[in-house]
Amino acid sequence: MSAKHTHITDVVVVGAGLAAERSAIEAASAGLNVIILSLVPPRRSHSTAAQGGMQASLGNAAMAKGDNPQIHFEDTVKGSDWGCDQEVAKMFTETVPIMIRQLDYWGVPWNRVVAGKKKLPSGLEVEDTKDKEGLITARDFGGVAKWRCCYTSDGTGHTVQFVVDTVVCKMGITVHDRMEAISLIHDGETCLGVVARCLRTGDLNVYLAKSTVIATGGAGRLYAASTNAVINEGTGGAIALNTGLVPLGNMEAVQFHPTGMPPVWILMTEGARGDGGYLLDKNLHRFMPDYEPKKKELASRDVVSRRMIQHIRAGYGVESKYAPQHLWLDIRHLGRKWVWTNLREIATIAMNFNGLDPAKDLVPVLPTQHYTMGGIRTNKHGFAYGLKGLFAIGEAACWDLHGFNRLGGNSLAETVTAGYLVGIQLAKYTLGATQKFDYKLVEGFVKKEEERIKNLISGKNGKENVWEIRAAAQNAMMDHVHIFRTGKSLQEGVAKLQELYKRSLKIGLRSSGQGANPELAQALRMPGMIRTSLCIAYGALMRTESRGSHFREDFPKRDDVNWLKRTLAYWKEGADLPTLDYEPVACPYMPPGDRGYGEATAPAKGK
Amino acid sequence: MELAKNLQKTLNQKANPKTDLYVDLAESVTGIILVGFLWMHMLFVGTIYINNGVLFNSLSEGLDKYYLAQIGIPATVLVILIHIFMAGRRAPMRLRDLRIAWRLTKSLKHTDTWIWVGQVITALIIGIMASMHLWEIMTTWPIEATKSAHRVALDGIAFMGGFSIKYYLWFYVALLLAGEYHAGFGLYRIFVKWGWFERHKMGYVLKGITLIILFIGFGALYMFIRLAEMVPLGGALH
Amino acid sequence: MSRNITLSIFRYNPNIPGDTPRMQDYKLEEYSGMTLFVALNEIREKQDPTLMFDFVCRAAICGSCAMLINGRPGLACKTLTKNLPSRFTLMPLPVFKLIGDLSVDTGTWFRNLQVRTESWIHTNKKFDPNALEVRMSNETAEAIYEPERCIECGCCVATCITANIREDFIGATGINRVSRFLIDPRDERTDREYFEVVGNEDGAFGCVGLMACDDYCPMEVPLQKQLALVRRKMAAAGLKLDLKGMKIS
Ligand SMILES: Cc1cc2nc3c(=O)[nH]c(=O)nc-3n(C[C@H](O)[C@H](O)[C@H](O)COP(=O)(O)OP(=O)(O)OC[C@H]3O[C@@H](n4cnc5c(N)ncnc54)[C@H](O)[C@@H]3O)c2cc1C
Ligand code: HEM
Ligand code: HEM
Ligand code: SF4
Ligand code: F3S
Ligand code: FES
Repeated sequence: MSAKHTHITDVVVVGAGLAAERSAIEAASAGLNVIILSLVPPRRSHSTAAQGGMQASLGNAAMAKGDNPQIHFEDTVKGSDWGCDQEVAKMFTETVPIMIRQLDYWGVPWNRVVAGKKKLPSGLEVEDTKDKEGLITARDFGGVAKWRCCYTSDGTGHTVQFVVDTVVCKMGITVHDRMEAISLIHDGETCLGVVARCLRTGDLNVYLAKSTVIATGGAGRLYAASTNAVINEGTGGAIALNTGLVPLGNMEAVQFHPTGMPPVWILMTEGARGDGGYLLDKNLHRFMPDYEPKKKELASRDVVSRRMIQHIRAGYGVESKYAPQHLWLDIRHLGRKWVWTNLREIATIAMNFNGLDPAKDLVPVLPTQHYTMGGIRTNKHGFAYGLKGLFAIGEAACWDLHGFNRLGGNSLAETVTAGYLVGIQLAKYTLGATQKFDYKLVEGFVKKEEERIKNLISGKNGKENVWEIRAAAQNAMMDHVHIFRTGKSLQEGVAKLQELYKRSLKIGLRSSGQGANPELAQALRMPGMIRTSLCIAYGALMRTESRGSHFREDFPKRDDVNWLKRTLAYWKEGADLPTLDYEPVACPYMPPGDRGYGEATAPAKGK
Repeated sequence: MELAKNLQKTLNQKANPKTDLYVDLAESVTGIILVGFLWMHMLFVGTIYINNGVLFNSLSEGLDKYYLAQIGIPATVLVILIHIFMAGRRAPMRLRDLRIAWRLTKSLKHTDTWIWVGQVITALIIGIMASMHLWEIMTTWPIEATKSAHRVALDGIAFMGGFSIKYYLWFYVALLLAGEYHAGFGLYRIFVKWGWFERHKMGYVLKGITLIILFIGFGALYMFIRLAEMVPLGGALH
Repeated sequence: MSRNITLSIFRYNPNIPGDTPRMQDYKLEEYSGMTLFVALNEIREKQDPTLMFDFVCRAAICGSCAMLINGRPGLACKTLTKNLPSRFTLMPLPVFKLIGDLSVDTGTWFRNLQVRTESWIHTNKKFDPNALEVRMSNETAEAIYEPERCIECGCCVATCITANIREDFIGATGINRVSRFLIDPRDERTDREYFEVVGNEDGAFGCVGLMACDDYCPMEVPLQKQLALVRRKMAAAGLKLDLKGMKIS
């Protein structure tokens, strides 16, 4: 057996989420041939699950008056705990309003400003002015100075992805869905494309391109409990890491969202708190104002999540059938109409999965893995470190807009903005590049994958069970690399993962592996997933400070003297730990300071 | 495969792009006319209640006098024919389609789908029975209360050696049920398709009307029987 | 509380030579809050690693996991086993091409649909990055969002007898998709252009009004309303086109 089909094109985009499709549009507009690969049809990508909205400083809503890119920039940098690339943040905040308007032009039904005085369900009184009527409105989100989160009810990701996909359809861009990239083809200097496995037939395909874009989204499924889709296994980063040349940046920066709903860990959007929802403890006491008098429930996510766990540790957690310990989200006071129109999606989810009607019931919540700030490290134009012709965007990348904590609503906004900005650079690069054909080299990469598949089927390397290993690795991440971290526990976590990594190299299938066999697909991903987990765990172990979502109980303070730098994790062939390197984080516009919320500002105090 | 598809499309290009619209409209319009006709027809037959059929007879005479029968009956028949062509094309025809439709209906257990299956079946029943009915009425023209009463109440087919059933009575009961079912739900479906009313509320109204019509129908059959007992065939009404 | 359940699952992998369609039973111990997502994964991980099915969001928002659950279409991820009898069947959605077992190719079908119905905003305006967005009332935006909520799960297509027997019928989802553009002021298509897309048997006039789509749509998209809207608009357009000969709007 050899590669069933070879496809030659200018640009191959791995992924069909928002970031991927937006960049494909840009490349195709430049006249390039583009092929998009995806595990699932584009409209099933995880971007469609995003509910809350996208941050852009349009300044139309009453509570957004006076907003501008500069304030958005400052919020983003504070949110990132000064871990982000400020040049990227500048570019981003200046471009994103145009992106929102372009999405509008393409057809997103953004909610609009309705003029008049109104009393919001949260009790706040505002007046939207006539001159703004009919323009795109915004809602409140965590960690922001102005209302800036543009939305369509609570299906923002859905409408945006669908609309961007209409443009892809219109332009006739080729999409190969159910096609999983399983390795990058490169000659040590330049990326030549990917080897992919068809999830319909199980056949191997080769895609040769002048440029390869990785936009494979998040890696939430490295944890047992995550708000992410089940396909978010971080495979894009893993195949880049596997080259030994491309580093993953800041993998220890993992976001935990305050309101995942146990026991299914589906997200209750931040919009629920943005619209005025409270967090309650077992005494039905609203505890967030005790910790964060200024921002209350709407401090940045890392802070709220920690406060919640802190409060539970202080003995105020609820014990129920949903989870051994959790807290409540209360949006009852917003009123039935508000809940079932503006927050309909989460109301439906609470109803479907727990039989709860948020208009009259409390909803159980607990901080849950949500977002990977880290990813394939790129420069500010989206060029991946280490290989020419390789680009990364979206959640899979570490373009570094988010540093150590992403602001809610900044990620969807990043996908399209990066898709656009990087798309332009990508097109420019591709137009000047020449296609390299080295069939022997390509054949080598295909052979390697065939070998792996053969060995998995025959059980030549061992008979380890892929599902057992996956579960063990996911649990290790939950136990040792979660919200609160300590050196000792991280050490244990790393050791467990190393052990599991070795076992993952000895996986043998129990089934025949024929066709589009799901066990084989999982087995092929497994070593890469654990390598990525190790980048997170090991990076966290070495970073002896607390910054943003990375919180070390043994080093609870941010340490700008030693740690104003970005982790770069490489995986050398044959290693069982990543090699870490660091690069400085520049702060050209905003020197490190106080975030205005969180532990540094308001000392912890229980009730 | 691709080529074949294209070819076929070119050859079958519709002469008028609006054919499908007209066909769809015709289906609904003939449907509405027929429902109107059937309900009027039931009211007409229902006049048998009044004055032991005097009104019934004078209406019948009216039909003849003003040439309503000569125009009305062929027109009705024409509408029925159009309706059969237009609506009939919606019914699954091929064996394969029948199998798919049947299997799916059984598995879904979905009320509206079942109702539609019923509509297709009643259509077949009406198709056969209404032609027989029409034939009978035409061949025994003119319409006359006692004639009708005797047909309904007494005519029947005798089975070997004297055992007989009141053929026409049961024939009419069957046709009445089938016709009302088909008409009532047909109207419901038209309203659903054109979205004039909210589906679930409208259902009740139509079911109500159908019940009333059925009530009139059964009542009329009863009156025919009583009339037949009172008045001998050919006897005069007072 | 816990009971034993039996899942009778359709098995057939067209990619394996010699494989034949059959039903296969799997037994599981049910626990509280068990969804079909949990149950199927447990079967795959503990009993039969070859079992094929699709889940992505497992939160009833991506449309990947539609299947016939005890004969009726639904999203497996949000179906709680406790609402099913102790023995039930799982079958792949009809109409769509089978990939294997419970997995069907909705992607290709929907892609074709988008292209056939040209489901994107048609406008001659150029995007001006320096201009404000065109104003729109919030009501209009919400009206567009209503049909836009369709997640392309395919339930409405699979339950519709018409879609099952007429290969070219675009189904409720297709008509609904078009309705979204029809009410969008940004789309500049004329009635004539819309009429060409859905004013026919494969579109608005193909629907018989069976309403299974409306009753089984997991997103509760108001399909009756949207279907009727398109039918009326297309009828009006078709009739008007005749009267005036040319474009009207
Ligand atoms: C529940 C939830 C709610 C959220 N809400 C918000 C919000 O309100 N606002 C906000 O700003 N952000 C939100 N986010 C974050 C945001 O949705 C994501 O970060 C963003 O959508 C990621 O987009 P992406 O294009 O990078 O990746 P994705 O949309 O995840 O797309 C990844 C694509 O890559 C493909 N893929 C993956 N691996 C491979 C492979 N090996 N080969 C081929 N294809 C592959 C997949 O098929 C998919 O098409 C939310 C996240 C979650 C989990
Ligand atoms: C031989 C006789 C008849 C046949 C074969 C027939 C056939 C059909 C069929 C197959 C349908 C279903 C079409 C669809 O679902 O779109 C239908 C619909 C309908 N029929 Fe009939 N029918 C007959 C007589 C009648 C009569 C006598 C009436 C009136 C009382 C009637 C009223 C209707 C109505 C109102 C509809 C709904 C039309 C629509 O949905 O647009 N039919 N018919
Ligand atoms: C235009 C043609 C028609 C004429 C002139 C006509 C006339 C009559 C007459 C005179 C009767 C009284 C009974 C009798 O004399 O036998 C009758 C009864 C009946 N007809 Fe018709 N009919 C016509 C068409 C139809 C059609 C198309 C249907 C089909 C749905 C129908 C259904 C019935 C039924 C169900 C009865 C029994 C009435 C009852 O229940 O009391 N008729 N018709
Ligand atoms: S309309 Fe409803 S049932 Fe049909 S595809 Fe969309 S979401 Fe699914
Ligand atoms: S089920 Fe089918 S026939 Fe029409 S009303 Fe729905 S599309
Ligand atoms: S898995 Fe997304 S809808 Fe069920």
